[in-house]
Amino acid sequence: MIEFSALSKCYGSFRAVAPLSLSVARGEMFGFLGPNGAGKTTTIRMMMGILVPSGGHVQIAGFDCHREGPQVKRRVGYLPDSPIFYDYLRGREILQFIGEMHGLTRAESLSRARRLLAELGLDEVSEEFAVNYSMGMKKKLGLACALIHEPAVLILDEPTNGLDPRASRDVQQRLRRSAAEGITVFLSTHLLDMAERLCNRIGIIHHGELVATGSPQELKDRVSVGGTLEEVFLAVTEEADDPAPAAPAR
Amino acid sequence: MTGAALTAPVSARRALWLLTCLRLKRLGNQVVALYNRPLGRGKSRPATAGKQRNRWVVGGVVSFFMLFNFGNLTRQSILNLHRALDLSATAAAGSGNARFALPSGPLSEAMTRGLTMELTLMLVVVVLLTLAARELSQPDWDLEWLVTLPVRTPVLLYCRILERTIANPVGVVTLWPAGTLIAWISGFRWSALLIGAIAVLPLLVLAAVVRTLVDTGLRLSLAPSRLRNLQAVLSVASILLLYSVMSLGLPLPLAFILGWARDFPSWGCWLPTGLAVRALNGGTVWAQLGLGVLLVVEVSAALWAGVVILTQQLSRGVVAASSRETARSPAIESNAAVAPPRLWFLTAVQRRELRLLSRDRSFLVQTLVLPVVIVLSQFVLQGRVQGISVLGVSNTTIASVAFGIAAYTLMLSAFQTLNSEGGSLWLLYTVPRSIESVLGEKARLWAALALVYPITVFVVAIVLKMRVDPELIGLAAIVLLGVPIYTAIAVSLGVFGCDPLSQEVRTKVRSTYVYLYLMLAGLYTYAIFASEWWQKLVFIVLSALLAVSLWQKARDELPYLLDPAASPPARVSTSDGVIAAMLFFVAEGIMAVFLMDRGHHLSGGALLTAYSSAGALTYVLVRYTYWRAKTAGVPAILGAGVGRAAGWGAVTGLGAALGGVAYLYSLRRLGLMQDVMSQSAAGLSHSAWIPLLAILAAPLFEEFIFRGLILGGLRRSLGAIPSIAASAAVFAIVHPPASMIPVFGLGLFAGVAYDRTKMLLAPIIAHALYNAFVIAYQLNP
Repeated sequence: MIEFSALSKCYGSFRAVAPLSLSVARGEMFGFLGPNGAGKTTTIRMMMGILVPSGGHVQIAGFDCHREGPQVKRRVGYLPDSPIFYDYLRGREILQFIGEMHGLTRAESLSRARRLLAELGLDEVSEEFAVNYSMGMKKKLGLACALIHEPAVLILDEPTNGLDPRASRDVQQRLRRSAAEGITVFLSTHLLDMAERLCNRIGIIHHGELVATGSPQELKDRVSVGGTLEEVFLAVTEEADDPAPAAPAR
Repeated sequence: MTGAALTAPVSARRALWLLTCLRLKRLGNQVVALYNRPLGRGKSRPATAGKQRNRWVVGGVVSFFMLFNFGNLTRQSILNLHRALDLSATAAAGSGNARFALPSGPLSEAMTRGLTMELTLMLVVVVLLTLAARELSQPDWDLEWLVTLPVRTPVLLYCRILERTIANPVGVVTLWPAGTLIAWISGFRWSALLIGAIAVLPLLVLAAVVRTLVDTGLRLSLAPSRLRNLQAVLSVASILLLYSVMSLGLPLPLAFILGWARDFPSWGCWLPTGLAVRALNGGTVWAQLGLGVLLVVEVSAALWAGVVILTQQLSRGVVAASSRETARSPAIESNAAVAPPRLWFLTAVQRRELRLLSRDRSFLVQTLVLPVVIVLSQFVLQGRVQGISVLGVSNTTIASVAFGIAAYTLMLSAFQTLNSEGGSLWLLYTVPRSIESVLGEKARLWAALALVYPITVFVVAIVLKMRVDPELIGLAAIVLLGVPIYTAIAVSLGVFGCDPLSQEVRTKVRSTYVYLYLMLAGLYTYAIFASEWWQKLVFIVLSALLAVSLWQKARDELPYLLDPAASPPARVSTSDGVIAAMLFFVAEGIMAVFLMDRGHHLSGGALLTAYSSAGALTYVLVRYTYWRAKTAGVPAILGAGVGRAAGWGAVTGLGAALGGVAYLYSLRRLGLMQDVMSQSAAGLSHSAWIPLLAILAAPLFEEFIFRGLILGGLRRSLGAIPSIAASAAVFAIVHPPASMIPVFGLGLFAGVAYDRTKMLLAPIIAHALYNAFVIAYQLNP
């Protein structure tokens, strides 16, 4: 469903994302982990056509994300790490607008908007201006924008970042339901336990390079039997930082 | 458990130094980033080289023009004050030298008061403009972050005021020319620039203090919704005051402004602005120093008092009730019950735009009220419009008022199309629509709204005239045609002039592109004032071509908008053809001047040399530029299928020639334009070079520009028929009026030949054949 083919991004001489090759199958929930500045958001922004790849390409449902943007966006719902909304529009209005921009009729947009707002616990604030929402409310509204057109793929950048435990649980439950419905989910997160709970497969990126991929169990077994994902994360990122020690001099 | 020992507290002086260095470094980085230079070297992540643009060229040119214009305005205002306050009525009205000379040496008491008044008004304008430009309703994240540092509030405030003193381009552009000129007339010569800057520095400090008091104090006292309303009022007030001040610098200043200068009280000369004027014009060094010290003391006292007041205000908290608390009111729930009108004919984007416009009062005033204020102020303060009755008299005034209001509306709306998305721009990247289509919908909405003003003006004019004037109808058509053209230009320039990655409101829009838009809009007024119909047509067609070419460039830019490093790949575009055509004709004109004989005549050989040299220069420069940029789609003279291209050239050339000869025959039979035809024939027979020029050189260079670049560029955006028609229209209007019709026909035939073969050989042959037949007919009718 999502196919990365040597996708890379450079800013001048700085390589933000090394040639990345990866496949995410239909219906899979893929967790994209990495330290701060590893290249997660850069990768996701290339998938959404916000950034132009320096090399390679990424395809979603067979469509090139850079050259066939509208085709991709019909099938994708996106949530950025810090969603910002229009000052003087209400939550319901923003959601309705996005629905109509995805080709839904006004009536259908309104119906789906109300349903999603209720589902995500935003019905009481749906008539408030979005600029007055808390961080958690904005995240939920952003998730609603990503879901309103019932996409086949969800691309989520730190979906639970800044959320309180209850809101975070609500979002995770929603994601679980989306995965159960066969939606492919590509999410980036710092929360290892969430990634371990939700994701079928995990990829760890460090300094722009994909240093490890596999199911949570496969990754844990790589370090030691019964190990935790945190140990895996620290181990692979330290390996990437420190080269193998030189043989001692005789 | 013992914690680590606390570090020693930072002294106020050290804190001030550190904060000042931080602010200056930030300012420096902003300036550098504005013009996309690499920021630094080093192993840590280097900043990107940025997009490949010569933005600094545009910025430098426009900044130079701005300073030059303000300097000119200031000079004229000093001259006007001198005439009104110093010279006798006879001398002021006469044609003697005294009328045109600036005062020099010690200023009279009246002149001192007048200059003090002007400088005071300028200072108020600077404060109002900076307040109106900044988003008052947005939280002051900067201050909220700084107050968490272990530094006393007054130190933070001094640093903030220092930064606002230095980073005040409006203040510098407005006050520095005035200070420099006052220094000049006071006897300073080359040091006038420096002395003027030193003299206005305290005034900039004062402006920063007032601005900080107002915006910080207001943020703590008023709800964000009230702040936006206030900002709307400040926008209007600042524009009115700005034009009042500028009116002093016009050839015929308004009487009431001069009256203010005359009646300005003497005690006003003890204000900081008065002290600055008196210090510059102090006469002796000791007097100047004394007055300068007094100025510094006054401003320092104001600075100290301002910081005390601000500290007192901030002691009750840095953040007032946020928009969340103030927005939760019953009014919102009750509004939700009122269903908005169903505007089914509008798209989702357009409905959203109107909704935002209706709710944001600042945006509403800025977009729909300010343009009327700006244009009418310009006319009223220039003394050209004494009342609305003038709309019933002068057709060109009516048309220029109508177009002016529309142009300003577009500057404040269509130009801001991308910028108005703000931080929400990411939403448009998630929907299955191209950004171009969204901008297009917004542009159509703003064009429709902007059209309301000129239509209203023309209706009022017709009512006042009590008849339908054919000339007025013609001008109305020009104005109404200009609105959609300039909507496209405004939106396109807005794409280039917007920096969506910028965090600061101030740097989100590059003012150089605003001025570029205003300059281009000003050029369109030539279409209104031109006396000949074909001149009007030239301006309209060229403006339309400019709109298409800019839109094309903007469209290439859109996918790379949020990418700080990537730029669109180089491709041939319509604007390349427009620039090449301008370069060609300018170069030809310059060479012709050099090759003229002493009697200012240009021989046939000289004309051929000038034309060929200009064409060769243009051709080489364009080819070289394309080669450097690795541009795709560069037009080629030859390629695969040369025989086919030659065939197309021959057929279309014969078709065009037939049309041209038929046109000439018709003119002869009808006895029209025979004097023009005779002169043309005489010129052709006078020298053998001219036919050679027409048959060999002209086709080669003109086809490269008009078919290769302009038609090739248009074909990227339009279909074959509109592209060929548009390029033929442009080709025709750059020729003499008598030949426009057959040349348009040639343009169509040559366009078809190029479009079918993608080889310049075809239209070159067609053009050469056309010229050969037309010349042959003219020489042997």
